[in-house]
Amino acid sequence: MAWKFEKVAGPYKGATGGLAWDGKSMYFTAVDEDLLLRFDPKSGSTQTWRRWTYRTNGLAMGPGGAFYGGQEGGRRVVQFLPDGITTPTALQLDGRFHNFPCDLAVDTRGRVWFSDPYNPVPAFGPQMYPLLPHQSVLRMTNNRGWSLERMTFDTHGPRALAFSPDEATLYVADGDTSAAMRELRAYPVMTDGTLGPYRLLQSFGADHRGAQRGIEGICIDSEGNLIACAGWRKSGPGPLIYVFSPSGAVLETHPAPCELPMRIAFGDAELSSLYLTAGDGCLYRASDIGRRGVRSVR
Amino acid sequence: MDMDRLAPGIERLIDPHGKLDIVAHGMEFGEGPVWDRRTGTLYWVDIIGNTIWRWKPGVGKEAVMHPTGFANGMTFDREGRLLVCGWSSRNVWRFEQDGGIKILAERCGGKKFNSPNDIVVRSDGFIYFTDSAGGLVNIGMVAPGTDIQRQAEVQGVYRLSPDAAEVTLVTGAIGYPNGLAFSPDEKLLYVNDTRVNKLYVHDVRPDGSLGETREWCQLQGSEPGGADGMKVDSEGNVWTTGPGGIHILSPDAKLLGRIRFPAHVSNLCWGDADWKTLFITDHHNLYRTRVNIPGVAVW
Repeated sequence: MAWKFEKVAGPYKGATGGLAWDGKSMYFTAVDEDLLLRFDPKSGSTQTWRRWTYRTNGLAMGPGGAFYGGQEGGRRVVQFLPDGITTPTALQLDGRFHNFPCDLAVDTRGRVWFSDPYNPVPAFGPQMYPLLPHQSVLRMTNNRGWSLERMTFDTHGPRALAFSPDEATLYVADGDTSAAMRELRAYPVMTDGTLGPYRLLQSFGADHRGAQRGIEGICIDSEGNLIACAGWRKSGPGPLIYVFSPSGAVLETHPAPCELPMRIAFGDAELSSLYLTAGDGCLYRASDIGRRGVRSVR
Repeated sequence: MDMDRLAPGIERLIDPHGKLDIVAHGMEFGEGPVWDRRTGTLYWVDIIGNTIWRWKPGVGKEAVMHPTGFANGMTFDREGRLLVCGWSSRNVWRFEQDGGIKILAERCGGKKFNSPNDIVVRSDGFIYFTDSAGGLVNIGMVAPGTDIQRQAEVQGVYRLSPDAAEVTLVTGAIGYPNGLAFSPDEKLLYVNDTRVNKLYVHDVRPDGSLGETREWCQLQGSEPGGADGMKVDSEGNVWTTGPGGIHILSPDAKLLGRIRFPAHVSNLCWGDADWKTLFITDHHNLYRTRVNIPGVAVW
């Protein structure tokens, strides 16, 4: 079945980024415009939900409606409160400021897992704090105050991440085009909460045209398959939406409607539509795709 | 001291071979220096260290307050009370004569300030301060639990009446207003913009409102540092932090010289009984040097 994406919002200046569905609306970020927007599928309209987000990219919702954003401009994960307040969360890993939170996933215990790669665009303000010597997946726990733990010790620049429906596996897309390889990895979540040795599901290499771009966004369907947006025109098979089985078999590919697909998420009634953000600053939606999302943590 | 002498006559203002002392160090982000003429004491802040410090010649430094809500610029009002920009607390407050604290303003038009940055008081008691938004996003300068959501449409310069009853936006035309200072006759208000390293000037009307925002000077240089703290001396020369150190500009915007610093200089003020000592903060140090003409006295 061919997937038909329609543009439902945009273009905004620069890329659109993170996505989060709250049961009624699809929230998404226009990173360089410092906007957090809300698309209402009933009316088809898009409204500004937060301004001055300081390059917030990834979004995720957690138990109780907790709503988080990866604020690249401030090198921190922020929490958006319903009354209009935005607050910082954990800032430091073992006493050092972490890098640039990119993508987020919240588990059923309310812990916020996020990728923390480097970013070519510096944070706002004086550049006083060096980056961490590693680019890892970090986990943020709120126990009378936020704290951070390092969860991966073998990533080179994690981008996207998503949990399997049973939260026994954390899928991580690792490496940007400056890395030797871009990989889709499946990390088992151990009973003690740490991550075990990963299984490599897919790798993206390079040829004379340059590095393949790899995966930038992942979401999970109701069968536990991974829907991943990846690629660019410069090299590889071009911008695509992949459907991977949990073991990494490529079940389907669909052309992305745009260059540089960024993030992908299920939304609409019964989580029956796929939403996609992109480097062209638009929000796209494909309905009737024959797949449904899993209910997100709320 | 390392100085660029860029125009004849700079020696009349400052000895290019003068001595530059470090009188205090160990801060994470020094800022907000102001001289208390009553006690002969220099007050300043460590923004990231979240502390207000004071230093008295021959006595040394001591902490006045910690935590401070990441206090930034400071000055004295016409009654000698220390006024403080609440960089993360998003307000302007003062120490009362009894040592208590009073919040003077935190909103304009119902909207929270961004993060008050630097502050100056006119001789009629009106308080002017810049409200750039860096305190909402700069790393290490936000207290846990702070509301970092910006509300104000502009990064403005505000005027606060002496009784703190009235807050007025006097200009919203500057991208990232930071340092501000009046000319000696208080007919001009200079405001600098950190993002573009420019200085702007405004005519000050008799009622304290400002004329249009006019570009006055583009700072030059690719060295570390930028337009941040700024003060005016008693002859109307403008001393501003900028690339490479402190830029000294004549009243007609001619660059006379630069005091070179290897690190990012954040602010400056005059002190001592004759107002001929220049105090300078960078991130980690408080410096002192002598100049040949006095600065504009504070209070």
